[in-house]
Amino acid sequence: MDKAIGIINANYDTPDLKELINGRTAASVPFGGRYRMIDFALSNMVNADITSVGIITPYKYRSLLDHVGAGSEWNLDRKNGGLFVLPGSVFGISSPGSRFLLRDFRRNMVFLSRAQAQYVVITTANVIANMDYKALIEEHEKSGADVTMATITATEADQDLMGVELEGGKVKATFRGVKPGDEAFIDCFVVTYSLLLKILEWYSAIDYLDFFEVLAGDYDKMDVRTSKVTGYVHSVYTADNYFKRNMDLLDPCVVDELFRDERPVLTKITDTAPTRYAETASVKNSLIPAGCMVDGTVENSVLFRGVKIKKGAIVRNSVIMQSCTIGENAVIENVIIDRSNVIAPGTVMKGASDAVLIMAKNELGR
Amino acid sequence: MAKKKECIAMLLAGGQGSRLGALTKSVAKPAVSFGGKYRIIDFSLSNCANSHIDTVGVLTQYRPLRLNAYLGNGHAWDMAGRDGGVFILPPYATESGAEWYKGTADAIFQNLDFIDLYDPGYVLILSGDHIYRMDYQDMLRNHKENNADVSVSVMQVPWEEASRFGILTADGEGRILKFSEKPKNPDSNLASMGIYIFSKEVLKKALIEDSVDPESEHDFGNNIIPKLLGEQKRLFTYEFKGFWKDVGTFGSYHQTNMELLDENPEFNIFDQDKPILSNVNTRPPQYLGPNAKVHTSIVADGSRIFGTVEHSVMSPDTFVGDGAVVTDSVILPGARIEAGAVVTRAILGENAVIVKNAVFGSADGNVPIAVLGNEKVYGEGGAN
Repeated sequence: MDKAIGIINANYDTPDLKELINGRTAASVPFGGRYRMIDFALSNMVNADITSVGIITPYKYRSLLDHVGAGSEWNLDRKNGGLFVLPGSVFGISSPGSRFLLRDFRRNMVFLSRAQAQYVVITTANVIANMDYKALIEEHEKSGADVTMATITATEADQDLMGVELEGGKVKATFRGVKPGDEAFIDCFVVTYSLLLKILEWYSAIDYLDFFEVLAGDYDKMDVRTSKVTGYVHSVYTADNYFKRNMDLLDPCVVDELFRDERPVLTKITDTAPTRYAETASVKNSLIPAGCMVDGTVENSVLFRGVKIKKGAIVRNSVIMQSCTIGENAVIENVIIDRSNVIAPGTVMKGASDAVLIMAKNELGR
Repeated sequence: MAKKKECIAMLLAGGQGSRLGALTKSVAKPAVSFGGKYRIIDFSLSNCANSHIDTVGVLTQYRPLRLNAYLGNGHAWDMAGRDGGVFILPPYATESGAEWYKGTADAIFQNLDFIDLYDPGYVLILSGDHIYRMDYQDMLRNHKENNADVSVSVMQVPWEEASRFGILTADGEGRILKFSEKPKNPDSNLASMGIYIFSKEVLKKALIEDSVDPESEHDFGNNIIPKLLGEQKRLFTYEFKGFWKDVGTFGSYHQTNMELLDENPEFNIFDQDKPILSNVNTRPPQYLGPNAKVHTSIVADGSRIFGTVEHSVMSPDTFVGDGAVVTDSVILPGARIEAGAVVTRAILGENAVIVKNAVFGSADGNVPIAVLGNEKVYGEGGAN
């Protein structure tokens, strides 16, 4: 029997990601030059030797499945265990901000009952962190808790998380409206396998509720604890956060922490040539993956694969996604340009630093 | 029993590449880094992948471990299917003892059983240390049209250089009349590229006979081709037009890398139509710092550049510190140029280090390219 299996729930509503979720799931939003959101959760799972991982998919799953495939990049194309793509429920989100709908788990009882384990690690796909799930499982096991919630000390950026109130080291209540300094749940928890099955059975009549909504009435009977995670841990459920978290990567210390050698963040590999910088290129404080061609100016920006910055173009404080072309002498400032867009020469697009513009992806572009 | 194939490839990757000494101390030449993110063997393997040849035997001998790890099961070149794959073929022991590969022909001879597993009609013999893009299917079509026993890929070289090559003399139909190794007075300027297609039965018979010939050096160019010519077999040239380089010396290795930086490079690694595939670890994107200056260069993932890079090839995970200047150089994976150091017209081996403020290499075109071997440290306190 496996020590732990994993479930990545990608079925939740994220209206605040705005145009970034046009035609794609929150889990498959591109991030950090060459990754997608779900790469962190998926890599954290396999880096903790979890070899059975279920992904509960929302209905716009095309880009997500395109990305994870059979799971081979994460060594999940296995005979024993592997990657399981699980259907999510189409409607019935209990309340705004709900991320662990009971119905999503109940629909996938077959996966749960076949993949027997001592513990289940459950997370959303929108946590940007290189987390040590092994340590989390170990803490859960040692404390004997029923549920262990990973938490952080909230900052300004974490207001869309759920706050946790403790009493004597155990969770007594949860609340919305997190303020900086509060202990906040980072949408990742460990639950003892047998208990999860029981919970799904007990609450089968009200499975339109969130896992933590049904738990709310039982904090006195159940042993729910928290495990504080430090370091770079942020969730991304809003476009504003999305932009800021990309900009965080312009600090090499953040990159070192997120993309460490001993727990690598894996992603779908596409073969591209190295990035070519022309004689006219001028690039400062920017994150650029392979496969780009830079002839113009790029400052304080994150580019994705296959981006072309033509001669005389200026890109500042922006996120330019895969396969975009910024035409000659165009000026782009404080903008997120989603994939496959071609910006005509001379175009000027300027957002404000506290209100970036978003240009939706060109659905049928290459 | 494996599935019968029309054509499989046998890729010779056992050579030491001794003229690239400092870069091949711990790795075979085919595994040497090239062009920023590639290894030399990627070009032949990608040609196979792009030519729909999905079964490749790789003959290894000299320091194969890094090469083996790099090749894996061939997945990176889309070859790990149920019916094909990349198979590493080192020398092995039999009931009569164990022997090293005594030459290119002997390496294939010792693996005739591997070829028989797939029972191909044709066997493509390749070398793992050339930089080029070629459609092997076109060569195979040519082979069949000529009803040939052997086809040899050739390219025109300047007449004055012909005496440095293995030269083939052919008639108007392309049928080979003569092979001369480094002829003093060449009567043709068609040089062999070391790429052959054999009809399998011809190959098998020739290799078996060659194996018991005490006079033979068991080499394709020097022994097998002349032997088959002597037997009046049908040998034809296949003329290749395009970019092809044997990066056998530091000079040609450096120059060929530099040519990738041309505005319209003759060899275009950016051509996504026939992509060059490689087996790379997932590395974070490259980061260019607040004072970085990078011009006319190619840079691979995982690199961090705080200084200046002019007209250079930067492989994955390289580091250029504040105020450091790298010019006209090829920097291999993991190499570090610390703050204030100056590197000019140089090749830095994998994980090599140029310490703070050290000066390495010279802009003088008459001075040979400066080379720092893999894992070496140059500068104050360094081993060199």
